[in-house]
Amino acid sequence: MSDDIVIFGGNSHPELVKLICDNLGVHPSDVTLGKFSNGETNIHVGESVREKDVYVIQSGCGHVNDIFMELLILISACKMASASRVTAVMPYFCYSRQPDIPYTSKGAPIISKPKEVYTFESHPGTPVASSLLTRKPGSDSGINLDKNGKGLPETNHLEHPQPVRVPQSELTKTPSSSRIPMISGKKNQEIAPEAGELFNAQNSGYKLWVAQSGTLIANLLTRAGADHVITMDLHDPQFPGFFSIPVDNLYCRPLVQNYIQHHIPDYKEAVIVSPDAGGAKRATAIADALELSFALIHKERRSQLLKGPPGATLTSGGTLPLSSKPLIRQLETPLKTPEMRKSSSSSKIIQTTMLVGDVRNKVCIIVDDLVDTSYTITRASKLLKDQGATKVYVLITHGIFSGDALNRIRQSSIDKLIISNTVPQDRTIEFLGKDFVDIIDVSRVFGEAIRRIHNGESISMLFEHGW
Amino acid sequence: MDHNLELQLQESDLKLRSGEHMSSNSIKLISGNSHPELAELISKKLAIPLSKVGVYQYSNMETSVTIGESIRDEDVYIIQTGTGEQEINDFLMELLIMIHACKTASVRRITAVIPSFPYARQDKKDKSRAPITAKLIANLLETAGCDHVITMDLHASQIQGFFHIPVDNLYAEPSVLNYIRNHTNLANAILVSPDAGGAKRVASIADKLDLNFALIHKERQKANEVSRMVLVGDVKGKSCLLIDDMADTCGTLVKACDTLLDHGAEEVIAIVTHGIFSGSAREKLKNSRLSKIVCTNTVPIDLDLDIVDQVDISPTLAEAIRRLHNGESVSYLFTHAPV
Repeated sequence: MSDDIVIFGGNSHPELVKLICDNLGVHPSDVTLGKFSNGETNIHVGESVREKDVYVIQSGCGHVNDIFMELLILISACKMASASRVTAVMPYFCYSRQPDIPYTSKGAPIISKPKEVYTFESHPGTPVASSLLTRKPGSDSGINLDKNGKGLPETNHLEHPQPVRVPQSELTKTPSSSRIPMISGKKNQEIAPEAGELFNAQNSGYKLWVAQSGTLIANLLTRAGADHVITMDLHDPQFPGFFSIPVDNLYCRPLVQNYIQHHIPDYKEAVIVSPDAGGAKRATAIADALELSFALIHKERRSQLLKGPPGATLTSGGTLPLSSKPLIRQLETPLKTPEMRKSSSSSKIIQTTMLVGDVRNKVCIIVDDLVDTSYTITRASKLLKDQGATKVYVLITHGIFSGDALNRIRQSSIDKLIISNTVPQDRTIEFLGKDFVDIIDVSRVFGEAIRRIHNGESISMLFEHGW
Repeated sequence: MDHNLELQLQESDLKLRSGEHMSSNSIKLISGNSHPELAELISKKLAIPLSKVGVYQYSNMETSVTIGESIRDEDVYIIQTGTGEQEINDFLMELLIMIHACKTASVRRITAVIPSFPYARQDKKDKSRAPITAKLIANLLETAGCDHVITMDLHASQIQGFFHIPVDNLYAEPSVLNYIRNHTNLANAILVSPDAGGAKRVASIADKLDLNFALIHKERQKANEVSRMVLVGDVKGKSCLLIDDMADTCGTLVKACDTLLDHGAEEVIAIVTHGIFSGSAREKLKNSRLSKIVCTNTVPIDLDLDIVDQVDISPTLAEAIRRLHNGESVSYLFTHAPV
């Protein structure tokens, strides 16, 4: 390696930094990262970067805003110290999507508290082809009946919007952490319904929207002085378009394919499953390359269940015979019960999930780019098991696992979780056990990308072959 | 002129005045999470309610902003101060995202009201390869879409030059002068600057109050260590007013207080604009011999010590917002404290 390359690691993922440096055969350069007593980030670059090619490695995880500011300050410090080029290496790119936490109709995210038992049901339950329900005695309506005989799982616990600030347990209590929600300056618990009312009452004519921060993050990075960005498996393929500097989006796909081929027994009989429509392209690419069959789980958010396309079947269960009755008619029954009326009027948007493709008696491999709250994959795995899948593997590039995600996964029907180390996974392994979790090492891909970019070589072969 | 046309014009003029026709371009106040009390005070002073904005933090710690009402073509003021030992970067990102959200919601002008400017002390390259973070913050604010900045008692007024947009650096001095006039015995008072850098600030107050002033000179043997303090001036039997722009860990203030008392001062009152009080400040103040520490409410203070007194500067900020919105001069506020 030529000696005009300088690699700095941020605080977010020192392990990955070390691995990448090992791959490159260089040492991470000396940088002191700390904080002043008032909380301001304090950085000191310990060696000269004049006319050097600088790579700053920082993954967007943990205390995201702190980590991101640290990255910006580090980039700006290198730029001001006359570095010839500064490349931001963000294995996981923070703020690259809006999390898929369910929202209340008022725009506040709904956060569920850790619970003993999770249902992993979508609300309402997934419509199931009636022929499959023979395994479930006592239910003939085409809908998952729970034990209370109610048509639908209770939506009650979804009705309490909980705006969350920094979890108290993870951060030491500061003077300001007690006065978090701002709208009326009231205490944490009281604010949520109050905020909801505020949003609802006087602004009935105004449709709420949540600010998208993608462009902002791109602009901030550019303004801080980044000349180049390296990242992996961006959630939106359009994201590099927000930048006016080159963005190299690496793929974890070759590594994932490699894992499937070498570590999943009888993978030739397996089905690749995309847990949502957005990931279909990603999953089909893998299915095509390995010549496997493919299934898709479709999340639908509809304003009113009854407004489904007339005559459409909500489930197509592969070769299984479907009931001749359209499911939509069957869904009417529970809707007529008074309690459902009530809940559907308070939250109009109802989410359903359905499976397209045949997974019966097959090994399923769920492929996705990112797991955050784990709602999507835990629901998907339940649906797959309900539809007769024998085993469910989950292959994920970025495992954020925020909130009670790990707890949900432990109690879900997932059989094995495979994640890459773009985000530190020590906690995941500790929590879920070594047998349950496999880690895909991406440091070789990043190392090779850095080497090639530094030498001005093409990196496109990394897209196909991995490293 | 055609009589009909004239009538029409009059009519539309009336409609314009009554706000029927056009968007009002009125003031919209948005409060961040850092200092809701101050935002509330400003909103009361202006008699304009705070706009409905939801700021949430997802469980993955990313910040999300929801604007709860239409702000199209309005004059938006976002109040967010630099505070919080754990959350200062959260508040900063929150401010940037809010500015960006307003920008994409087609507002006419966005003014960031940042009473205590974060990272203001990292304003120079004092070591090799040290980041000039204050400049970075200025850049970030502009990039997010900020059109104007209102701040107070910048650590170095040169930070204004880091921006390419107008910055109104207000002074807490008039409010502080009022406090000194009303709460201290001026006959026996002397003003003291705890370091040479603050001499100018103190001299200006001394001129206005017609008082003498003394200066404490720090002799540094090692960096970051206040070793010996040399007092220039006579403070014997006097009531000393120690004046500085911010109190953070309070090491300097407490040492200066000791020095003054050792030289025969009767009592020492510290007056600062930004009471950040981080780290062990609370313990230091509790064990100090300061008879009082006065700070403004540019940052929220949660010390519950008897010796802490607060000066409300929200009238100054509110008046600055009003004047800015109406296109009036702000310089009046440099010398006068509105009530």
